[in-house]
Amino acid sequence: MKKFIVLFVTIVIALNSILPLYAADGKVSYSGDAGQFVFEPGSNKSLTDLFPDFKDVMPGDSLTQKITVKNKASNKVKVKLYIRSLGAHEDSVEFLSQLGLKVQKSEENKMEYMFDASANEKAQLTDWVYLGTLYSGGEVNLDVTLNVPVELDNKFQNSIGYLDWEFKIEELPIEPEDPKPPQTGSNFMLWLSVMLCSFIMIIILLVWRKKDKENKENATNR
Amino acid sequence: MGKINIRIIIFALAAIFMSLISQTSVAYYSTVGKATNVVTSGNIQFIIHETTDQGTEFPSTGVYVIPGDVVSKEVTIESDCNHPFYLRVKLVYGVDSTELSADDCFKLNINNEYWELHDGWYYYKDKVDPNETTPEIFSHVEIVGSKVDNNYIGKTLTLTVDAQAVQSENNPLTDNKTYTASGWPAE
Repeated sequence: MKKFIVLFVTIVIALNSILPLYAADGKVSYSGDAGQFVFEPGSNKSLTDLFPDFKDVMPGDSLTQKITVKNKASNKVKVKLYIRSLGAHEDSVEFLSQLGLKVQKSEENKMEYMFDASANEKAQLTDWVYLGTLYSGGEVNLDVTLNVPVELDNKFQNSIGYLDWEFKIEELPIEPEDPKPPQTGSNFMLWLSVMLCSFIMIIILLVWRKKDKENKENATNR
Repeated sequence: MGKINIRIIIFALAAIFMSLISQTSVAYYSTVGKATNVVTSGNIQFIIHETTDQGTEFPSTGVYVIPGDVVSKEVTIESDCNHPFYLRVKLVYGVDSTELSADDCFKLNINNEYWELHDGWYYYKDKVDPNETTPEIFSHVEIVGSKVDNNYIGKTLTLTVDAQAVQSENNPLTDNKTYTASGWPAE
């Protein structure tokens, strides 16, 4: 039994070390009813940071950050999704103005870049840009590409740049002629969590039953 | 008692029912959320180590020498950053006298297996990975007896190690020679 528990704990630790690898993408979730957006994964510099892949960048780097915007609202509404840029924070302009940033919807890259300018600018995202209408469970994927020029000056070592984006949702009622909500996304993580919890419960139950049985036997022997 | 329990259950069910109904009659909302995204840049840093063959730090105040002495002084360089880099080192000789020259006063056993001389700089032949320490550039310094004569009595000879690094990422080499990397600081 002890060996079994040790094996189980080892598996859980191994899973925990692997699972964060799935969290490298930026995620924006809307839960409906005018609730807050949830921005993931965040960082130690900003809780709403969507750029985990744009850390510790070096001259000559060209990096792409995937960002998924998901509608988790109920299936009674559909949402219109918009994005805009508020630009760089004042103290970040000098650094971010050195870097190139491109944003596009990633569905086979059919859409033209909705943003292609220096990272500090608002450019084409000054006004709200419509990303699409999402039904419950629907999502929009964005590819954000950061280009760091190889000539970037030494003085920008250890620099930090803050860039604000806003997302807007407009909820609309589902019309009879609307398509049924698509089955999107994967419930793998949910099922994995449920299975792990069930597994832990079963082990606790088994241990408890064994101890209970032992206690009863001890009581009978006395 | 039983009746009270039934009433509580009915009341709870009614509350749940009402909350479900209220969810179906929501208004249609608009909401805005702000994400503050962060870009950070990396850096290149290293530490120069100067030790003796006993493993102790080379005295910062220097050592007293006489012509012909061989002084133990191992110079290595340790990466102190998350990025690999190319490295070069220049050895600068000096003496606290305008009438004397420090040239040829020192004879070093340069580690030519890992370092190669090009235009006055010793280039480390490979990249230095994060947390890596290079092999020593030299390990002993001989005070050349034929050069350091009586004129040097009471003088201070200095051997300064200047090191420079440039990132190896996005920085291709020609013929695998590290001195062909781009970005070496101008002299």
